[in-house]
Amino acid sequence: MFAYNAKLAFKSLNDRPSLTVLMVAAIAVGLGLFMTMLTLGHQSGKIPIPHISKQIHLIQLDNREVTADDAENFTDMVDLTYQDANNLLNMDIAGAEQALTWNTYGILNVEEQDIQPQRSSVVATNHAFFNMFEVPFLYGKGWDSDADQLGQAVIVLTKDSNDYLFGGINSVGQQVRLNTQVLTVIGVLDDWFLARKFYDRSYSQARPDQALIPSNFAFNNDLPRNARFDCWSTTTNPRKFTTNYLTELKTSECAWITFWAKLPNNTKDDYQAQLGQYIESQKNLGRFPRENQYFLTNINDQLSIIGSMGGRQQMLGMISYMFFAVCLINAVSILLAKFMRRTKEVSLRRALGAKKRTILQQHLIEVIFIGVIGGLFGIAFTYLGLQAMLRVSLYASDYTQTAADLMPYHRMDWEMVMMAFSVSVGCTLLVGLYPIWRICNVSPASQLKAQ
Amino acid sequence: MLKMENVSKIYRTNLIETHALRKVDLHIGAGEFVSVTGPSGSGKTTFLNLAGLLETFEEGDFYLDGQNVKGLNDNQLSELRNEKIGFIFQSFNLLPELPLFDNVDVPLRYRGFNAKERKERIENALEIVGLSSRMQHLPTQLSGGQQQRVAIARAIAGQPKFLLADEPTGNLDSLMAQQVMELLEKINQQGTTIIMVTHDDQLARRAHRNIQIFDGQVSDLALDQTDVLIKAG
Amino acid sequence: MEFRPIFLSIKHNKAIAMLVIIQVAITLTVLSGSLLMTTSTLKEWNLPSGIPHDNIISAEPQFYDLDVDVRQSVVDDLARIKALPGVINASPATQRPFAAQGAQQVYLEATEEAQEYDTNIFTGDINLHKVLELTLIEGRFFRENEIITGKRDELSSTPPIVMISENMAKVLFPDGNALGKTIWMEKGGSPAEIIGIYSNFMNGEQLNYFGQSYRTVLQPLVTWQNRQDPSYLIRVEKGMAEGLLETIRNELYKIDGRYVNRVEVLSRIQKRMYDGRGSQSIMLLVISFVLLLITAFGMAGLVSFLVTQRQKQIGTRRALGATKWDVVRYFMLENGILSGIGIMIGLILSLVFTFVLTEDSGVNILDMSYIFATAFFIILINQLAVYFPAKKAANIEPAIVTRAA
Repeated sequence: MFAYNAKLAFKSLNDRPSLTVLMVAAIAVGLGLFMTMLTLGHQSGKIPIPHISKQIHLIQLDNREVTADDAENFTDMVDLTYQDANNLLNMDIAGAEQALTWNTYGILNVEEQDIQPQRSSVVATNHAFFNMFEVPFLYGKGWDSDADQLGQAVIVLTKDSNDYLFGGINSVGQQVRLNTQVLTVIGVLDDWFLARKFYDRSYSQARPDQALIPSNFAFNNDLPRNARFDCWSTTTNPRKFTTNYLTELKTSECAWITFWAKLPNNTKDDYQAQLGQYIESQKNLGRFPRENQYFLTNINDQLSIIGSMGGRQQMLGMISYMFFAVCLINAVSILLAKFMRRTKEVSLRRALGAKKRTILQQHLIEVIFIGVIGGLFGIAFTYLGLQAMLRVSLYASDYTQTAADLMPYHRMDWEMVMMAFSVSVGCTLLVGLYPIWRICNVSPASQLKAQ
Repeated sequence: MLKMENVSKIYRTNLIETHALRKVDLHIGAGEFVSVTGPSGSGKTTFLNLAGLLETFEEGDFYLDGQNVKGLNDNQLSELRNEKIGFIFQSFNLLPELPLFDNVDVPLRYRGFNAKERKERIENALEIVGLSSRMQHLPTQLSGGQQQRVAIARAIAGQPKFLLADEPTGNLDSLMAQQVMELLEKINQQGTTIIMVTHDDQLARRAHRNIQIFDGQVSDLALDQTDVLIKAG
Repeated sequence: MEFRPIFLSIKHNKAIAMLVIIQVAITLTVLSGSLLMTTSTLKEWNLPSGIPHDNIISAEPQFYDLDVDVRQSVVDDLARIKALPGVINASPATQRPFAAQGAQQVYLEATEEAQEYDTNIFTGDINLHKVLELTLIEGRFFRENEIITGKRDELSSTPPIVMISENMAKVLFPDGNALGKTIWMEKGGSPAEIIGIYSNFMNGEQLNYFGQSYRTVLQPLVTWQNRQDPSYLIRVEKGMAEGLLETIRNELYKIDGRYVNRVEVLSRIQKRMYDGRGSQSIMLLVISFVLLLITAFGMAGLVSFLVTQRQKQIGTRRALGATKWDVVRYFMLENGILSGIGIMIGLILSLVFTFVLTEDSGVNILDMSYIFATAFFIILINQLAVYFPAKKAANIEPAIVTRAA
């Protein structure tokens, strides 16, 4: 019976091919737009380094003056001062891995004359960075704690930078100049895709840095500091610290360094306690005039507090839902037209002994079939839609972002493909409810008499 | 009342020319009750369609209530149908989603009567056919015979010059058929011309006159005459 | 007008009625929402620039060698660039039109509570206004001896004079007479006298988006900050801009220890300024338009289906005296009524949608006239879409009624 019904269903698809095509198109187009927006939202909402994100905590200490406003969460709070960052690093707090990060910039260039210098964004950090965030290496490795202490002139290049400057070869041991400073390459990163760039708190997408250097090297050579300085009101013009007044900055209460700690489950309380003790000890030195406030926020919590980013995507998302709904409504009309053309045949079949159930099965098969085909085309359209959105992003950013960097955010993973299928089949079934109900209720031989 | 002269209905395809009606001459006077019989495929339906202005014809002249319908355009034909003819079909052809009141209302709307006039006529017509009490019911709630009576009410509500009935009792059992025939006779007695197509000889004999159609040709037999008007094709 | 039979017919087939109503409602919501969003986004879009942007080049050089004498290299740069064939004039600048970074504030008083006015501050030497081809409206331009040159944090004072744009004058001094008045560039800073008012030119995306285009202040300054040289704005002969980009880049590289970031025509920067909004708007409109098409075709298809379903009825009506136009009008009226209900529901949905969008973007975009216009348009399109299958219905022969079943 199933095979027979399947055969009938298949025949019916070929019956009025124009209607079948129209129906598949309605579902596929609506699904395409819908899944494009859904995928973008999905990629946008992904958590970076998800398997350890809950352990990675942003550490913030409230060293501000008494008159400052209270902070509700990490977004209102300042980062660390130079003193505190160094102190925490030197303390071995609960054996936790700790890293400081800040951003500098400069011109990277190599000996090779044909290769033009590259304006670069560089991360100044310590050796723990690589282990903590499980950064993948293609060649070489990061530096060690000695290199940190000495502020050694070493540099880790990202894959793209290495491709550009050295043609992608193993450049470990080679020299590269950052402005006028000479550094030795000791490592090259592999492709390191982050759903969002969390370590500098920008949460940006597709804006990768070009290299990483030891923080002390950057200090020793007074490299520019691309940061926001949260100082007490007694400090004039905090922006001057970007390129100047390093000595004053080091001793001031200006907070600007981003600080991370990796705290597996059992260590968090311990770490917090020791942090509290540290602040107490500093209070005795006359610092930290405010209440004992510090924040430990892991990546997951940070992202949920920040909430959805991109109002534009939200609007497009809503529109895509509605677009899909209209496509489905049209699909109902088309399916209705398709089925009701056959009332005579169905009525005859019923008169000849077919039960309602078998009529149901026949048409259900047809509907599911359409759902699957619609899903396939829908996935194809989604792919096209994502490509189009990628072009739009590129166009809007006017080559400040590369296609390669943007691509991961415009990609369908298997989760999305499965979702597309289930949405397609599910919605087609929904669409088919009314037409199937109508056709199954055709009474036997009702269409065969005159009235 | 209804005069056809030399009327032919020809279906032309690329290869064949079929005469559905062949040079028909026919005269039906006002107040007559005429039955039209003939085997299936004889051209009965075509004759009906022509008489009812439902189809156009190729040759000849057709005068309806003194007016030559030959050159009339579609709108004029519609108007004429609406005013002069009342239809009764074998399959009733009531609109299933409208209550009886609104079903009878349909031709009156096209006539352009105002609401008050229409209401009067509808109530009158349903009274005549004996279904006033069920004015708001839907056709599906009625028996076959009742549905046909509604159709008759619809046909007479506009006081047409003649009724055109196509196998009016074809879908009814003998008792209901009786009722319908009595109704038609009553209406005819009040002066409305009736042309009734039927394959039931018994019913056909109840008419004043019988016209036979055979092979596209009309043979007009008065019940007490044997008047042959056959024209060789 | 046969409303009652149509209402009864609609009641008889509620499912199909719902299909039409929901479709129309959603289409109205999406279409009007997109239109409102687009018009509000594009309200300040593609405004006149006020400058010959096709003939001005911006160059961004940057030193990484700290030992370079920046003051001298500025002099050398300008000399070399101005000597190039095709170059009319050049000036150092710390901001570029269309790309002003963020917003700066100026004040009318020196007090703590002074009201702040958003603006963009542009600096340059005496040639800046020639490069931008600004027209003098009141007062005068800067003189050579009034330009202050030096490393930013080594300057002992800020210039005591400024020029402001026409729009800025209107904002600060609505009653006129801005000339000669004093403004403060910083809270508690030193005052500056307004010595001239010049014609408007486009500042940047930030102020433009909030309807504050053309608000600019000119300071007679040539400054640098360690590695941050001034940029250069270069006025060239008509049609020569593209060709000179590479040449200017090479000229700048003649001084060592330097990286040249971007050398581009201002029109390119202008394009970037508007691109983001432009592309989003186009996307919205395209999607909305496609939706409208789908709805129209869907409507036509549905009516086609109904016509097929109702063949017998149509024939009956024709037999009973309906003209062809009566049949067409029946379907158009039926769809019109359903569309009308859909529109009413859609109006409510549109208001909700608009409210959500307004909350989101922070800009009030509601304009009822657009929503009504869209509704009217949709009904028109629908009626058109319905007309064609309805016309086919009219061609159903009345003779269909006499056929057996």
